[in-house]
Amino acid sequence: MVGLSAGEKHFIQGGIAQDLRSDGRKRLTYRSIYVETGVIPQAHGSARVRLGATDVIASVKAELGRPSGLQPDKGKIAIFVDCSPTAAPMFEGRGGEELSTELSVALQRCLLGGKSGAGAGIDPASLVVVEGKVCWDLYIDGLVISSDGNLLDALAAAIKAALSNTGIPKVDVAAETTGDEQPEVNISDEEFLQFDTSGIPVIVTLTKVGRHYIVDATSEEESQMSSAVSISINRKGHICGLTKRGGAGLDPSIILDMISVAKHVSEQLLNKLDSEIAAAEASDEES
Amino acid sequence: MEYVSPEGLLLDGRRPMEMRQLRAEIGTVAKADGSAVFEMGNTKVIAAVYGPREVQNRSQQMSDQALVRCEYSMANFSTGDRMRKPKGDRRSTEISLVIRQTMEACILTHLMPRSQIDIFVQVLQADVGTRSACINAASLALADAGIPMRDIVTSCSAGYLNSTPLLDLNYVEDSAGGADVTVGILPKLDKVTLLQMDAKLPLDIFENVMGLAIEGCKAVANYIREILLENTKQLEYRRGL
Repeated sequence: MVGLSAGEKHFIQGGIAQDLRSDGRKRLTYRSIYVETGVIPQAHGSARVRLGATDVIASVKAELGRPSGLQPDKGKIAIFVDCSPTAAPMFEGRGGEELSTELSVALQRCLLGGKSGAGAGIDPASLVVVEGKVCWDLYIDGLVISSDGNLLDALAAAIKAALSNTGIPKVDVAAETTGDEQPEVNISDEEFLQFDTSGIPVIVTLTKVGRHYIVDATSEEESQMSSAVSISINRKGHICGLTKRGGAGLDPSIILDMISVAKHVSEQLLNKLDSEIAAAEASDEES
Repeated sequence: MEYVSPEGLLLDGRRPMEMRQLRAEIGTVAKADGSAVFEMGNTKVIAAVYGPREVQNRSQQMSDQALVRCEYSMANFSTGDRMRKPKGDRRSTEISLVIRQTMEACILTHLMPRSQIDIFVQVLQADVGTRSACINAASLALADAGIPMRDIVTSCSAGYLNSTPLLDLNYVEDSAGGADVTVGILPKLDKVTLLQMDAKLPLDIFENVMGLAIEGCKAVANYIREILLENTKQLEYRRGL
């Protein structure tokens, strides 16, 4: 995908070893992040996040559905990611499917917690309207428009921003019913419920190149990686999920080291992201 | 239902000869050779162009001209109700083909033998006229990529409702069931490269409606020219010329 000469590879690796990367950043510095909310008016919430040349859109759509029989007190949340061929010609046709699935699964693992819903960024219990009968199904769609590395972090940030932008219509139960009948509900088009998004984690991906690891790798840097660890961390500093990618094995002590570094980086990222989201929301309301 | 009020206004306040709002932006996909966003009313599409580059599939290589390929895709969230369609359904295959044929007609393919040009269009918001919006976006993206072209293809649609020809239908007007004529033209050469219509129309009215759509295409062409000129001026400024 990325065609690099031996000299360029050497330059990238040497730069990382000396803590000065080819775009002038240090190993643990993110590229500037830019957030725009409300980009898809048809969705309940949406956001576009740009991280350097990486550009992603996330949208949230809610539909009324029936909770599953096993978990009558919880709504359903699903995350789908699609890699548009505009991002790279290799995503043409079915070419992007493998990466899309990898990203969707990693995001589900990092943001939605386990099967029980423990550790989820959004409490699935808050989506229930009538226990066992009516609940909201949240569909979160991510779309990669332009790809320059670090898609996972950008998508997670976009989903966080989209969820803060989301307003779910307030639902009133019109008539109580007994037995198996579906209750009638009125969907309000004036009142909206906002989610508490402070608990949604951010994902920090540490990419190992040579003996060192870096955050927010560009696609050139990703082509030189031996392995990468994506760690999702929330505001409280708890680790919410973890994925390791790439072939080479990692020493367990290095993984622990990476986690503590990721925790430190995540604080700065969360602060930056929160202020960007607040600024985007403010300018969205103005227009 | 009344789609044209006695005062001659449409439901969304436009006049029958008035287009939906246009907006375009060049260079939105940093990694592509050329890219553009094009909005017509609520329809919003992104186009990206890669190439001319080496032909990926050797058996498709042509020794006398460039290979032009196009893929149209819709985002899951682009329609009112969320959809999850597999890629490559019949509608998108047809639109891909239409865009490819239209663009192929204006690219000077004989100047770039043994190479390939990829055009990818992604619909972010689908109202009516994704076809026209995609062609306009693709034109802008090709121009941004610096690919030699005979002219800039522009496209626009027109319809006929309540015995009034309407320019650039919106969703409500399109669902009303009148005819929908989509035209693509080469504005400088004054040639029609794309013409599609559904439903039926008497011949004399068809002439009017098609004339209106061509006028629309010319208005789009003027707008695209403005955007390209502005973009070139900015590039010039950044180079310090």
